Amino acid sequence: MVRWQRGLWLFFLPSFGLLAVVLLWPLGYAIYLSFFDYYLGSDVRSFVGLGNYADLLTEGRLWNSMWTTILIAFGSVALEFIVGFALALALYRLHQSAKVFSVLLFLPHIVTPVVAALFLKWMLASNWGFIDATLLTFDIVPPDWLGDPIWAKISVILADAWVFTPLVMMVLYAALQGLDTSVVEAAQIDGANNWRVLRHIIVPALIPAIIFTISVRLMDVFRFFDIIYVLTGGGPGTATETITIYTYQLGFRMLEVGKASALGVITLIVVASLLLTINRVLNSIYRGGDQ
Amino acid sequence: MSVASIQRKRRRETYLVFIALCAFTFVNLMPLIWAVLTSLKDPKDAFTIPPTIIFEPTLKYHWEVWFENDFVRYLKNSLIISAGTVCISIPAGSLAAYALSRIPRRNAGPILSALFTIRMFPHMLLAIPFFVMGTFLDLIDSYLLLILALVAINQPFTIWLMHGFFLEIPRDLDEAAAIDGCSSWQAFRIVILPLARPGMTVAALFSLLLSYNEFLFALVLTGTNTKTLPVAIASFGGEDITAWSLSAAGAIGIMLPIVLVMLALQRHLVRGLTAGAVKG
Amino acid sequence: MASLTIQHATKSFGGLEVLHGVDIQIADGEFVVLVGPSGCGKSTLLRLIAGLEDITQGEILIGDREVSHLHPKDRDIAMVFQSYALYPHMTVEENMGFSLRMRDVNLSERKDKVRASAEILGLTNLLGRYPRQLSGGQRQRVAMGRAIVRDPKVFLFDEPLSNLDAKLRVQMRSEIRELHKKLGTTIVYVTHDQIEAMTMADTIVVMRDGYVEQIGSPLDLYDRPANIFVGSFIGSPAMNMLEGRIGGDRQSFVSNRGTQIAFGAPVSPEADRKVILGIRPEDIGVSETGTPAMVRQVEPTGADLHVNLDLDGDGFTALFHERLPLEEGQNMGLKVLADQAHFFDPDSGKRIE
Ligand SMILES: Nc1ncnc2c1ncn2[C@@H]1O[C@H](COP(=O)(O)OP(=O)(O)OP(=O)(O)O)[C@@H](O)[C@H]1O
Ligand SMILES: [Mg+2]
Repeated sequence: MVRWQRGLWLFFLPSFGLLAVVLLWPLGYAIYLSFFDYYLGSDVRSFVGLGNYADLLTEGRLWNSMWTTILIAFGSVALEFIVGFALALALYRLHQSAKVFSVLLFLPHIVTPVVAALFLKWMLASNWGFIDATLLTFDIVPPDWLGDPIWAKISVILADAWVFTPLVMMVLYAALQGLDTSVVEAAQIDGANNWRVLRHIIVPALIPAIIFTISVRLMDVFRFFDIIYVLTGGGPGTATETITIYTYQLGFRMLEVGKASALGVITLIVVASLLLTINRVLNSIYRGGDQ
Repeated sequence: MSVASIQRKRRRETYLVFIALCAFTFVNLMPLIWAVLTSLKDPKDAFTIPPTIIFEPTLKYHWEVWFENDFVRYLKNSLIISAGTVCISIPAGSLAAYALSRIPRRNAGPILSALFTIRMFPHMLLAIPFFVMGTFLDLIDSYLLLILALVAINQPFTIWLMHGFFLEIPRDLDEAAAIDGCSSWQAFRIVILPLARPGMTVAALFSLLLSYNEFLFALVLTGTNTKTLPVAIASFGGEDITAWSLSAAGAIGIMLPIVLVMLALQRHLVRGLTAGAVKG
Repeated sequence: MASLTIQHATKSFGGLEVLHGVDIQIADGEFVVLVGPSGCGKSTLLRLIAGLEDITQGEILIGDREVSHLHPKDRDIAMVFQSYALYPHMTVEENMGFSLRMRDVNLSERKDKVRASAEILGLTNLLGRYPRQLSGGQRQRVAMGRAIVRDPKVFLFDEPLSNLDAKLRVQMRSEIRELHKKLGTTIVYVTHDQIEAMTMADTIVVMRDGYVEQIGSPLDLYDRPANIFVGSFIGSPAMNMLEGRIGGDRQSFVSNRGTQIAFGAPVSPEADRKVILGIRPEDIGVSETGTPAMVRQVEPTGADLHVNLDLDGDGFTALFHERLPLEEGQNMGLKVLADQAHFFDPDSGKRIE
């Protein structure tokens, strides 16, 4: 760095000092804990090496929660993407009134997640929830949205989609607004139908934004906690128990903090490899584009 | 096809899109509308089939939840914790972001990627050691511990966001300031900071929102004294079905300030989102 | 006020060397212009002097003081940026007084100095405005005002006029000259516009690819360019270059395509030497018996006649001050005087004396 600007390194101190204390240190401590059999209530800890990891990986519950996470991830991301893209296109079409719509449509995302989950709970609650009450009016017997293992999964996916579709919509809408309108208009004048304009002009231009949203959302799913916690608590049984919920149960309900830490580390590894894979795919796509 | 007929067709399509969007928005906001209605209902109107749309609204439960159920106290906790987070996170983050925007790109790149990676950490992995250490240090149910945890998840995003704002301030100004006699710190404080104020406000509002909404850390690190609004409403409305009106009133109350902040932030929303605001 | 000495200044970015040992000696009060094509390292050299970039090797002295490794604020220089770099949140007065404020000059003295400088630059009734409320020319003036209030040892200008329109540029050119006369401070001024260089400089430094090609007064450079590059860079339209050899009588030149040019007197290179002949368009005369050429294009500018010629396939430009009755496609005879011909060595590109 240029000599007269060397003092700038000092500017990093507060922030990086903070990060070291509140982020790296706890992280290191968690990794350390993951090698111990440690029940917080008893205050005895014994070193078990990779024992926690071995236990977890041979347990059915971990794999169950892993599959649930993956199912919810793909279900909700697919739904969010399809609906979000459609909404972004619709907003793009409207121009003037788009602003009002974008604010209204964005509300579910900005509301406190716990509150959003409660809103949905009051919709889905059996009998007196809005949906049930409406269906029962017409003598339709509704399924148990949150109590049936399959419906509960679907409800959780819908809830995730309700909260995160606006994000996908906004990012894609912003990318659409960056498009060169003259190209789109020229294609329309040339008689290209909407579908063709979409496929051959709009989608290719949006690829970076699309990849960004999908990858960020995929990784977020591994942190998805508050909505499931409020909506189903992981139930019925373990039907909607994701890795995050399982870690919570282990660490804060059963107080098995050693094992919970190990599960946290496993999650980190899964997320990191996901990140690397996405990076690699991204790179190969971009390199492919250059050729 | 003539241009006129294309335009006619387009106008018709746009009209259809408008109608469809209105319908979707209405259905999409139904949970929210329903919650607002519920919060204004007496239980006799809340538990009916078919659902009551027309009833005599009452603000009784709004009053009750805030003033007879301690929500004012939770609000105070939420505000102290959010403000504390912002007061630590924004100054520290701004300094780092400024330096990051001024050092050579080849040095800044890896730091930015590292920060981006940190953003992807599962929060659970952080919550456990915080909880264990908090237990030992007897810091559970203290403002400080939760503030520190929120700073940890806030800092990377704050730096990212502010970095973008600082990049927009030309480096010529730093150089002119250096020649005019400023040290790096003086250049930052006297020349750059006043120009970065709008960006800092945006970052502060986003941080505020993030801390106000945060649930996991608040759930495990607070207790009766420092409980924040999300934790309170989750335990309140989660279980008791007869308290629907009451908890709906609480939920709506929690939501209102957010809507205001969001309106203030509208223009910067996309930028904040891509930096990871709102949901950490 | 002080002299400025640059000794063997070398600058590398990463592994790439962009200045290769530049030596320049600037006298106290001199107005020096650095010119050269884009990317030749002018700004880099200026920023080395200012201290905005670290020097890789070599020394910079202001007066007798070595400043090579000092912070910009400790070098006692002032700089006018191409973008002006005015502080947007400060008024004109605050902008101009900023460097004094940073040097703890008290308020009343600051006000006096700012007022005095504003007077010189005609900024007195703009002092309360913010930069965004000023026109381009006014901003330019404020940038200069900011530089002069402090009375530094050296002024540095990096293409200060390139954001102005053509008319304003001409006006500011003479204003900066005036200012220099009034203040007498040493100035290093960067431009890539050779007219700006010719009209403003006491001394011009011509640079190319990180090397100094020639240092001299404007007329020096015009009359006796040290090499082909300087010859073709200084002067507009550019000098004509023809490759060939000197005739056996030392009074003529034969181009590789066979064109004969007679000078009517002996020239400096020895007989039969391979050379590159340089002739300025404005040095070409007309003579019935001279070298035959074909008129390709005639462009009257009003004051001059700009003529593109064809010499056995070589393109050639001539500039006549008379309005000759020339038509495209016609043949004419050219004349070049011995003392107006420049000769360069084809291998080294250096001037042959
Ligand atoms: N920070 C830098 N990092 C790497 N290379 C640089 C840097 N700054 C300048 N260069 C290189 O140094 C060379 C000289 O650049 P410089 O800006 O001094 O040119 P210049 O003569 O001022 O050109 P112009 O007339 O276009 O302003 C160029 O090749 C440029 O690419
Ligand atoms: Mg330059």
